[in-house]
Amino acid sequence: MVVIDINKKYPEIWEFLAEVPDPEIPIINLVELGVVRNVEKEGDKVIVTITPTYTGCPAKKLFEDLIREKLIEKGFEDVQIDTTLSPAWNTDWLSEATKAKMMADGISPPTDDNKVVTCPNCKSTNTKIISKFGSTPCQSFHSCNDCLEPFNYFKCHR
Amino acid sequence: MKITIENNEAKFLFRIADTSLILAQRMAELCSNAPFLEEDIAISNCSLDLFGRAEELYKIIATIEGNKFTPDDYVFRRNEREFFNIKLVEQPNEDFAWTITRQFMHDVWAKEVFTQLSSSKNEELVGLCSKVLKEIEYSLLHSRDWMYRLGLGTEESNKRTQDAIDHLLKYVEEIFNFDDLDKEYFSDCANIERVWQEEINRVFSEINIERKEIQPLSMRDFRDGFHSEHIGHLLSIMQYLPRAYPDAKWS
Repeated sequence: MVVIDINKKYPEIWEFLAEVPDPEIPIINLVELGVVRNVEKEGDKVIVTITPTYTGCPAKKLFEDLIREKLIEKGFEDVQIDTTLSPAWNTDWLSEATKAKMMADGISPPTDDNKVVTCPNCKSTNTKIISKFGSTPCQSFHSCNDCLEPFNYFKCHR
Repeated sequence: MKITIENNEAKFLFRIADTSLILAQRMAELCSNAPFLEEDIAISNCSLDLFGRAEELYKIIATIEGNKFTPDDYVFRRNEREFFNIKLVEQPNEDFAWTITRQFMHDVWAKEVFTQLSSSKNEELVGLCSKVLKEIEYSLLHSRDWMYRLGLGTEESNKRTQDAIDHLLKYVEEIFNFDDLDKEYFSDCANIERVWQEEINRVFSEINIERKEIQPLSMRDFRDGFHSEHIGHLLSIMQYLPRAYPDAKWS
């Protein structure tokens, strides 16, 4: 498990960033998703470093626009967004609280190596995979053998 | 605009970046055209990974080259002879078995390639490799799984897979004709071929596919920018808009 301590030197800015929802899973925000890696200030300039979930994640550009928009709205005029690929994003960065939010929203959160997938509707673990690829690069498509509910599962990515 | 490449490392990385890009474009052709919905999503997702991989590699190349050109320049402003992808990935989506076989052959190659590049001295590249390897593993899970389903499926699916393999194998030999540049940046060229042959033969033997002696086509090497006829058609579609409307921007 890769846990990277983030030095949240500018708690106020981190709070603002936590107001930016993930465009594809709006129930969680970009800080909870783990894509915001660092916040720095150089004079009046704010530098936010982000990391993409998947290299081809179509939301990558949108992350940048949404972050810039939010910080400008909060009065920061000079915003620079850098991207880092290392350490690589992984689903161990999602906290238990974040996973609970996903479950409540109908997305089954990542579990240890995708072995047990829980139905967000009836909480049964008697589920089957329908497609290894779901509606976004980070999800796969499943259905529940007990309540028959079809659902998205947020893939474990390490 | 004439794109120039000065640095050896950049020259080498174009082979990997272009291979990702051209395969991504081939697969993107199947978006909304795949045989059924789940497969449409799967192929489009794998295509996105490859576009992302190519973009990151072009960024690394641009940095090495002192930012004389942008990733967009590299993608949209080069001609056929200036692309250095392996010919395997430019082969068309003739049949679903072609698409899957091409993907499987590529994924097995890519896995060993990025494994070796993980020990590169270029830190950006090492960071990218750790991400990319996970994505390749997932793509491989998908393409290998399909090889079994097609090979062991019906008489028809087995025959079409055999046909696809017999055809695509013609484009494989050049991949392993490593030159000095490859030897400089890969840690063990011979192992790329060994791993590939072993895995391909292992899977073929399990899915009732015969590995025939295939005469490679006498075509010049992709490392010198030589291609099959298909690349031009692919580029004409991919590059149409920025060529017709130079510097067009989404507004």
